[in-house]
Amino acid sequence: MSQKSMPNKTALSDTATLAIRQWLLNYASALFFIVFVVMWELICRVGKVPVYILPSPVSIVNAFFDVEFSRWLEHLWATLRVALMGFALSICISIPLAIAMVRSEVLSRTIYPALVVIQSTPVVAVAPLIIVLMGTGDMSRVLITCLITFFPLVVSTATGMLETPEELIELSKSLRAPRYRETWQIRIPYAIPHIFSGLKVSITLAIIGAVVAEFVAAEKGLGYFIQFSTSFFKIPQAFAGLIFLAVVSLVLFKSVQWAQQWLYPWSIPKNKR
Amino acid sequence: MTKASERAFVRMEQVGHCYDPAAGNMAVQQIDLEIHRHEFVAVVGPSGCGKSTLLRMVAGLLIPSAGKVSVFDRQVTEPRDDVGIVFQKPTLLPWLTVRDNVLFPLKHKYGLVTAADKVRAEELLAMAGLAQFSARMPDELSGGMQQRVGIVRALLLNPDILLMDEPFSALDAMTREQIGFDLLDIWTEHPKTVLFITHSISEAVLLADRVLVMSQRPGTVLDLIEIDIPRPRSSATINSPRFAELTARIRKHIYEPEVHA
Amino acid sequence: MLKKLTKPLLQVTALAAALGCSAMTLAADKVTFQLDWLPGGDKAPVYVGIQQGFFAAEDLEVKIASGRGSTDAVTKMATGQSDVGTADIGALMAAKARDGVPVSAVLSYFSQAPHAFFTLEGSSIKSLKDVAGKKIATSPFTSSNAFLPLVLKENGMAADSVTLVKSDPGALSPMLMTGNIEGIIAWVTNVALYEKQAAEAGKTLRVIPWTDGGLDLYSSSLLAADKFLSERPDVAKRFVKAFAKAVQFTYANPDKAGADIHAIVPEVDAAIAAAQIRSINGLVYNDVTSHDGFGALTPERMALTWKWVSQANDLAADAMNPEVAVNRDFMPEQK
Repeated sequence: MSQKSMPNKTALSDTATLAIRQWLLNYASALFFIVFVVMWELICRVGKVPVYILPSPVSIVNAFFDVEFSRWLEHLWATLRVALMGFALSICISIPLAIAMVRSEVLSRTIYPALVVIQSTPVVAVAPLIIVLMGTGDMSRVLITCLITFFPLVVSTATGMLETPEELIELSKSLRAPRYRETWQIRIPYAIPHIFSGLKVSITLAIIGAVVAEFVAAEKGLGYFIQFSTSFFKIPQAFAGLIFLAVVSLVLFKSVQWAQQWLYPWSIPKNKR
Repeated sequence: MTKASERAFVRMEQVGHCYDPAAGNMAVQQIDLEIHRHEFVAVVGPSGCGKSTLLRMVAGLLIPSAGKVSVFDRQVTEPRDDVGIVFQKPTLLPWLTVRDNVLFPLKHKYGLVTAADKVRAEELLAMAGLAQFSARMPDELSGGMQQRVGIVRALLLNPDILLMDEPFSALDAMTREQIGFDLLDIWTEHPKTVLFITHSISEAVLLADRVLVMSQRPGTVLDLIEIDIPRPRSSATINSPRFAELTARIRKHIYEPEVHA
Repeated sequence: MLKKLTKPLLQVTALAAALGCSAMTLAADKVTFQLDWLPGGDKAPVYVGIQQGFFAAEDLEVKIASGRGSTDAVTKMATGQSDVGTADIGALMAAKARDGVPVSAVLSYFSQAPHAFFTLEGSSIKSLKDVAGKKIATSPFTSSNAFLPLVLKENGMAADSVTLVKSDPGALSPMLMTGNIEGIIAWVTNVALYEKQAAEAGKTLRVIPWTDGGLDLYSSSLLAADKFLSERPDVAKRFVKAFAKAVQFTYANPDKAGADIHAIVPEVDAAIAAAQIRSINGLVYNDVTSHDGFGALTPERMALTWKWVSQANDLAADAMNPEVAVNRDFMPEQK
């Protein structure tokens, strides 16, 4: 039997596989992206897919550079401004609301059903009404964005505050500390990881909210740009806008992650810091 | 009048509690117990026998539905702030350094800490052998060290009563034994009235002056055993025949019902 | 000391007041113009009016808001978010008959219907009558869908002789080009865009306008909020005059018009806009306008339009007198 030489061999191949695995793990997303784009281009070229069905990556890139960069920035700023204002408004509303709901059973019982009703109302359907009521200015778009983003924030904040270990609440009670300190020094910090999960969901929803609002009424913005491109059958240009929008969402999502890492490093599990 | 130190410090009279009055099943019933000042009493019993219920009653976190609990001749009717509680899990606040965790009860109770408090926190940490860790974050510490911080935190306000709810049950056996002796050292240096809940019979015998043995739910007192093993105790204590006798007596209480069944 | 300080202060105030006054005399009348859709070649006149200075000449400052359909545009004028705009007069009539919205038509823009069947060269659909028994794709919310049964009936076909496939507007062109569907319903305002797509796919577009089948009505018109007309009649009058001029210029100079709209909305391709303008010339200038003149809203044709609109919207013919939807006080003098 060749068992004697086996251990060495396996050890060697094990380290090699391990190294490859590590490398794959590090670059998996980049690799996947490259393969995906190359496949896409190949399918478009080999299959002679008409541009109005699926534009090729090259045509999308060309379409991107056909639009002046300053125009991109203008549209980006319009969308970003609304998304961030809506996001900020939603933070200002949902976190105090969640705190109030955790502290008051009555409030929680009265407000929760209302929140669920608001959340399950398709904002797309309500958006035109909001525009008619509040005008075509930024404010109505900000409100639409806020409506889409605030629910996950309320839920995650409240969940986090309620998941505080019972022992710490007992500790607080046994110290006979004022109730607001229980909220500020124990419950809210404990909710930070949950709040950030909520913020991560909300920031991507904020972009969707801003785009939905632009579909209903806007003169600028990436959503408007995409709708515009589609109405002129400029499909590659619409895709370029779509991809730009996705990149913006990704950057915002990452920014929330960075903010958490920077402000509250302890709130991230040690192996992920 | 007798001196305060000679009177029963913590007294339970016919104490019973029922969490769900509608269902009517008692968690504990007819508990009579007197703990003297600076006495170390351990409570053992099968899980769910209401050991933690007793502890919460002394802390005033739970008001018994029958009988009464009094501390220093005063009936306990609300949470008391002269107790230090050590929980099963360290429950340190992950966003505070070790020192700030120790200072947390002060900060939480009064909203501020003084320089003197900080010095005291450092002293207590040094006593627990944690001096060099005071600026670390809790998750940088081992489980045993975290629980030491939990004990130090409970000592900060210099409480008369130290309530410990299975404080070492999450630790491995070796750490557990060591931290037990460390607790005795601290207790000798800063005498406190200790109510120590555990499900380890040998731990109870090793640490306590008296051991209260509780029955299965609804928890009642099966026995109250005087541990006459002289102090200071050490790992050698475990090998003494008296230790074996006492643990066997307790074990008999706990396993007897099963033997009959 | 105080005097020393106050004197320059007074001077500054005086200067500011003077500036303010002159600014006031210089300030043009502000008008918000409502489009019924996104900017495009068919919406060129208002952009031309700005770029060619027709509005400035009338001392008007025009702001343009895009819309999302005729109903949306009418609503925005009714709620006072816009003063004036172009939208389908049929949508206005329906809204007026139902809710009496305070908006009126002041000038006709398209004096013919834009609805049409689009198909490709080589298809068996050569005229309106050939659609019977065919599957036709349309977008879910276009007003064309309501007119289709009427047009079919007018041409001796049963209302259900065409199977309609509802689909997103963006999907209609690909469906047609790939041969997924034989014909679609679209507006002639989009002919230029579809022709370009067809050319890219190596095909030729065939357009069958419903006007060929007897659909005879006013469509896109200049509408205005009643509040605007009653509170600022002078501004309204000047606006209509400048707008009419801009329409004329647009269709006389499609390339310049295309460049003008591109200058304000860079996303609109000047050449495509020019092609669009050329392709819809017949909507703006046709038998109707050569008889009545551009912009006219004659009682006869208003009644005719209402006949079609009321049937298409399931409204009683006597639900409204079509004359209430029009206000002729602002018509520019015919030359």
